[in-house]
Amino acid sequence: MNRAHFMAQLRDGLAGLHHTDISDILADYESHFADGAADGRTQEEVAAALGDPARVARELRAEVGFRRWEENRSAGNFLGVVLALLGLATIDFVILLPFLCALAAIFFGLSVACLGLIVGGSFLLFNLLPFGWHGVMGNAAMQLLMGLGLISGAIGGGALLLLLMDIIAKLLIRFARLHFRLFDSANKSI
Amino acid sequence: MVESLQIQLKKGVLEMCVLALLSHGDNYAYDIASRMAEAVGMGEGTIYPLMRRMQNDGLVSTYLQESGSGPPRKYYKLTKSGALALKAQISDWVVFEAAVRKIVGDAA
Repeated sequence: MNRAHFMAQLRDGLAGLHHTDISDILADYESHFADGAADGRTQEEVAAALGDPARVARELRAEVGFRRWEENRSAGNFLGVVLALLGLATIDFVILLPFLCALAAIFFGLSVACLGLIVGGSFLLFNLLPFGWHGVMGNAAMQLLMGLGLISGAIGGGALLLLLMDIIAKLLIRFARLHFRLFDSANKSI
Repeated sequence: MVESLQIQLKKGVLEMCVLALLSHGDNYAYDIASRMAEAVGMGEGTIYPLMRRMQNDGLVSTYLQESGSGPPRKYYKLTKSGALALKAQISDWVVFEAAVRKIVGDAA
């Protein structure tokens, strides 16, 4: 495999990442080939020493995904962490998969519940306005309190959900990093 | 998945070795990789995911410096928490090494 071939496979493996991350990583490897050439090695020698570009891409991808999550704990970035883990796919993740699916279902259910609380609470508050439907439930004070209660419940629940997601993501990341180190056992080098 | 003890041991101390190299002075990935390849037989491909992880963990930082030939080079520099991590890992290592030597020493 020559330089161009290695770089093309690496680029393919990184597709979907943020373009600044991709160009940063590609620049690392370009300069590695340049330094190798200055060292009097052929492109083929350097590529062979670097290993399988697809595997390298999976590890780097996972590392970038973890950093994005640590910078910004959004649902999209959480998905990125999970996908990166699946990208490292080995037997362990097949075992983990049902667990991850169940977790996703629970999170989805809880998020919908929070959303429901917000909708219900807003409905009760909305009813207090002069043009609302009167007499839906109890008197105005009761509706106000219940509406506020439901909404603050949803906010609290949502915050708890985020906290839980953070803990789980940290565990998964630690698991995956442990995995990198055990990854290359078929190879005699480390 | 059975790994030889040697490979497992080397993986465990990879980060400590890279931190130790950087404690002698800032360096770029190619040079770190070739030193590590020579010294402990590390695969060169291991270096970039490793450096990225250490950067994520705040153990090293990077900066660009003009090189005599070609584009500017990315140098890695030990951060304060990297230096602390190195210190902690070395003291762990010394204790561990001494304990193993004590047990294994008689058999060798």
